[in-house]
Amino acid sequence: MPVIEFKKVEKYYGKFHALKNINLQVEKGEVVVVIGPSGSGKSTLIRTINGLEEIEEGQLLVNGYDLADKKTDLNQIRKDVGMVFQHFNLYDNKTVLENIMLAPKLVLKRNEAENKETALKLLESVGVSDKTASYPKQLSGGQKQRVAIARSLAMKPKALLFDEPTSALDPEMIDDVLNVMKAIAKEGMTMVVVTHEMGFAREVADRVVFMDNGEILENAQADEFFEAPKEERAKQFLSKIIKH
Amino acid sequence: MISVFQQHGQELLTGLENTILCSVIALFFSLIIGSTVAIFEVLPSKFLRIIGKIYIEVFRNIPLLVIGMFFYVVVPQYVFPMDGFTAGTIGLTLYTSSFIAETVRAGIQAVDGGQMEGARANGLSFMQAMWHIVLPQAFKYVIPPLGNQFINLVKNSSVLAFVAGFDLMYQGDMIASATFDTFNTYIAVGILYLIITLPLSYYMRYLEKKLA
Amino acid sequence: MKRLRKMLLVAGIFILGGLLGACSSSKTQSTWNEDKANNTITWGVKADTRLFGLMDVGTGQIKGFDIDVAKAVTKKILGAKGKAKFVQVTSKTRIPLLKNGNINAIIATMTITPDREKIVDFSKVYFAAGQSLLVKKGSSIKNVKDLNKAGTTVLAVKGSTSAVNIKKSAPNAKVLELEDYAQAFTALKSGQGQALTTDNGILFGIASENPGYHVVGGTFTNEPYGIAVDQGQTELKNKINKALSEMRKDGTYQKLLQKWFGNVAGFNLKEASQQ
Ligand SMILES: Nc1ncnc2c1ncn2[C@@H]1O[C@H](COP(=O)(O)OP(=O)(O)O)[C@@H](O)[C@H]1O
Ligand SMILES: [Mg+2]
Repeated sequence: MPVIEFKKVEKYYGKFHALKNINLQVEKGEVVVVIGPSGSGKSTLIRTINGLEEIEEGQLLVNGYDLADKKTDLNQIRKDVGMVFQHFNLYDNKTVLENIMLAPKLVLKRNEAENKETALKLLESVGVSDKTASYPKQLSGGQKQRVAIARSLAMKPKALLFDEPTSALDPEMIDDVLNVMKAIAKEGMTMVVVTHEMGFAREVADRVVFMDNGEILENAQADEFFEAPKEERAKQFLSKIIKH
Repeated sequence: MISVFQQHGQELLTGLENTILCSVIALFFSLIIGSTVAIFEVLPSKFLRIIGKIYIEVFRNIPLLVIGMFFYVVVPQYVFPMDGFTAGTIGLTLYTSSFIAETVRAGIQAVDGGQMEGARANGLSFMQAMWHIVLPQAFKYVIPPLGNQFINLVKNSSVLAFVAGFDLMYQGDMIASATFDTFNTYIAVGILYLIITLPLSYYMRYLEKKLA
Repeated sequence: MKRLRKMLLVAGIFILGGLLGACSSSKTQSTWNEDKANNTITWGVKADTRLFGLMDVGTGQIKGFDIDVAKAVTKKILGAKGKAKFVQVTSKTRIPLLKNGNINAIIATMTITPDREKIVDFSKVYFAAGQSLLVKKGSSIKNVKDLNKAGTTVLAVKGSTSAVNIKKSAPNAKVLELEDYAQAFTALKSGQGQALTTDNGILFGIASENPGYHVVGGTFTNEPYGIAVDQGQTELKNKINKALSEMRKDGTYQKLLQKWFGNVAGFNLKEASQQ
């Protein structure tokens, strides 16, 4: 059974048709990179997966729960699906360590000692163990994003969603974050990543999804896609961002 | 004016006590009710949002005196008995809570939406995210306007005078009508109000600086 | 810097107090001369008291015995063209308004008392009221003695003599003072007290409109109503006294009394017209 499965999903913002007939499966351990021009619906797509956006039609199954069903407990899904945002969204009123320990404590009722141990280990693995007592304000963008990734991992999720995790970072910090993401991918995490980092996509992605105008135009094995995209618009898009 | 304090010190003290007591009670409950209504207003549920909106519009737009009189004369007649102090304090609580609700709601909305989104995506429930993440940050924005609300609350507690609640203003009325020395009596009463409100406003300013 | 600000603040308060104090003690000149010049007397009257001074919501005019007496006195003093101007007062506001010159005279169910005589001058008695009690029909309270029990609450109006009197006549009762008669009566209806006390004339006015309530126990104090002018306005006071005497002589007074109180059940006209 796929971890994430879209079946004929339609999404509207009022009259605006933001997602059109989306069909997509993400298998356990798979890394799917979503690319496409700005405004094509990438964020919307990824945000529907943990219920930050509602869908109007079709079925969206995450870990077997149907998100279109009003009875589905979204908190249950969010427990298992972490999300990393472009602008980090760390808790400004909490220290780095508290940021990581809060959800496991409140949601998973993890005991204090274990919670702290896990948190410290994660901070070490993302390379910010010297900042445990700092507040988000005091961190660089790259540090913030790595803390945010650690925060998601602390929930021991079954899948992780990334929405342009490096777009708000200074260039010299991008690699630090990408390296952390690569390491997570190697450990077998199921990941959906919206990004313009083609190097990362080539190296890590199993599959690439190309979106435009709310539609999935191409959904291909990563190596096939980068060798020769079938869609004309995907070709143009690729050539544009690779020139950069 | 000194003579007013000398001859009617006991009455003024009773008034001062009742004014402070009423203010403290009303402050406590209007904070709780006001914050709750503020949360109603930012809830995903449209029904509760409307309830919150109605609550605020009703109590904010009726004169305090009318609310106080309602609890003093209408409620005892049809529901259950209560004295003037209770009626006035309830009226003041409801009235103030509607302003506090507006203030706190504005504070909540001033907190970056990413905070709530991050918390929800992290697995926290709406209430957990509110309590642990959004409200503590909103509180910072809300301190200065809330301080004004508290000072207004103390001044507005003079509504008790109209429902025989034995507050400072009521005692002032009594003393003035017994001595006919309206001028000095109300000066004395005014000074006693200042004794409550001035430290409060200085404390608020101090808090504001500390949190900034 | 902080110290300085604090000092300025305190100084400000005292300066403010001093200024207000100075204003309040400045004396106006003879109001009678002003009245003569304007051909108008400005009266402070009640607007919430049936039979004495009550605002007619339809016309916006105040009507009652006090009003009619004031008009008659004005005509006697200033002649047929003399105008009576009316300003609404309550028991609480009437003396301050007289003192600061907003009104020339008070005719507002005001009892002549020694305390009040220290700060205003009264005319002769124009209505001999007495304090009484209004209770719900069927109430166990029959007279003022029944009030003198702990747990009994009596309602009165701020600034009136009735509150003071009841504290003397029934020291064990709790007295609550409200803003005006309408509020005091509403409080009685909603059970905030067991009896409403004030002058009989006023209570009869309320009872006439509210059949469930009646006046009990007769009068237990003498409340002679007088017209008040500010201290030292002797000329105006004398003119008013002369006018009142003339009214009694020519029958105007009796006609007015009959007009307002003739039909009030249980009301003693003779007692009220005592001088
Ligand atoms: N909350 C919203 N309300 C209305 N329109 C929205 C909202 N969020 C996104 N959109 C619109 O949906 C389209 C897709 O947006 P988005 O998913 O953010 O695109 P991308 O992430 O690919 O840049 C855009 O046209 C955007 O303006
Ligand atoms: Mg986006």
